[in-house]
Amino acid sequence: MTGLQLVNGLASLLIVTSLLVIEAHGVRRSALYYALQSFVLVLIFVALAATVDAPRLFLWAAIAFVTKVVLVPFIMYRTLGGVEDPALAPHRLAFAWSILLGAAVVAICFVVVSTVHLPVAAALKPALAISLAHFFLGLACIVMQRNLLKQVFGYCLMENGSHLTLALMANRAPELVEIGVVTDAIFAVIIMAVIGTMIRSRLQTLDVRQLTSLRG
Amino acid sequence: MASYYVIILAIGQGAALLLLAPLASGFSRVLRAKIHTRTGPPLLQDYRDIFKLLKRQEIVPKGAGLIFRAMPFILMATLLLIAMSMPVLTLASPLSAVGNMFTFVCLLALVRFFFSLSGVDSGSTFAGLGASRETTMCTLMEPVILLALFVAALLAGSTDLGRISVSFASPSQGLIAAELAVTAAIAFAAFVEMGKVPFDMAEAEQELQEGPLTEYSGPGLALLKWSVRLKQLVMASFLIGVFLPYGAAASPSAATLLWAAVVFLIKLVVVFVVVAVIENSVARNRFFMTSHSTWIGFGVAALALVFYLVGL
Repeated sequence: MTGLQLVNGLASLLIVTSLLVIEAHGVRRSALYYALQSFVLVLIFVALAATVDAPRLFLWAAIAFVTKVVLVPFIMYRTLGGVEDPALAPHRLAFAWSILLGAAVVAICFVVVSTVHLPVAAALKPALAISLAHFFLGLACIVMQRNLLKQVFGYCLMENGSHLTLALMANRAPELVEIGVVTDAIFAVIIMAVIGTMIRSRLQTLDVRQLTSLRG
Repeated sequence: MASYYVIILAIGQGAALLLLAPLASGFSRVLRAKIHTRTGPPLLQDYRDIFKLLKRQEIVPKGAGLIFRAMPFILMATLLLIAMSMPVLTLASPLSAVGNMFTFVCLLALVRFFFSLSGVDSGSTFAGLGASRETTMCTLMEPVILLALFVAALLAGSTDLGRISVSFASPSQGLIAAELAVTAAIAFAAFVEMGKVPFDMAEAEQELQEGPLTEYSGPGLALLKWSVRLKQLVMASFLIGVFLPYGAAASPSAATLLWAAVVFLIKLVVVFVVVAVIENSVARNRFFMTSHSTWIGFGVAALALVFYLVGL
């Protein structure tokens, strides 16, 4: 098995873990699955660094490990862990539909990617398709989930997808880009977590459909 | 020479699975008792039950017809054919003329068809309800099995179960994600087909008094019980033999076959332990909620197809 196959294989794990993040029961489990997914992302960075000879990616992997595997899930787990809305418990049929939706999104993204001519990442087209699909899965999570906190996770998924795209296409970019990407993510997550807890304490709901009135 | 060997292997494999079936179900009963922290029946209890039933008198309901009488034999024969045709100890299928994914799916459907038909034929309400549930499960599970097997056939380039087993034994193609997703879908399907607790719809002991088995007695019931046990073992062996074939014999010699048998038994024990843990840690499903779970299996199979198409 070559390194490129390993990268592609690990990329498929990203889809599986993101489906778990979207459909997990409760924020704590979602945060743990998110940590798992970020760890897969770190592994992809390491495998990619070893295969395409891009030593900077090792540093990317280290930064991503600290921020995405440890810091962001920790923040989510601590600030949002106890915040639940029993009315929004996920449904088993919804899980089945998300898997089918995920499969459809991956297929469409692969069709899109295969029409683009890319000499840089010709062997990594499957992984590129997955990274694109991952972005759209996060978007779908934001659009389709009624749970406010799941939408925060949707944002994180989009962010992971674009991060992978960056690593595949521009893996010799300076670390500054990487640091910019992850600080952006951390601050966004902190702000959204604070807003989420405030909404829960003021309005006693996490359902975005019920956020129709202004309350001070 | 080769054909003799193949026939002996096929018959031996079928006979071994048939003889092992009550032991396997006894093992899962022991595990169930252990998880409940009670003593439970001895390991060989199912053999005793079957032998006792074989000696008893058979009573047939008044309105029951030929289907009712013939069903135990049809069920047993069909399951034995599946047991003989699929690759278990060897990578290649012993009866390659029958060891095909289409014949496998059709034979499974035949089992379900006669099982539910006999339930209707017996005239009992419980049995009829069990029969309708059995056909519902058939409609829900067949897409999962078919789609997963289609992807497996695409991966192997052949619908022959032996070829599929060979391609899964050597993960050199690089399509690991697709292979894993197919294995997961088949494992799910095998679990549902084993009729263990969240999916014991047709023979639900607590609700339907064992469904289509209600009106059977004596030797007929013995054969049926044996067949149900055999089906559980066949599904587990199908998962192991075709999709987890590491350690199976590539060449026909006594030493490799012996080693393959040892590895197979270890894998079988692992599978039954996992199944026991799952079936004892979940509650019964409501029947109308079953489709919600089975759709997840179909989703995994669809994901496998997409992974194959994308080239993962």
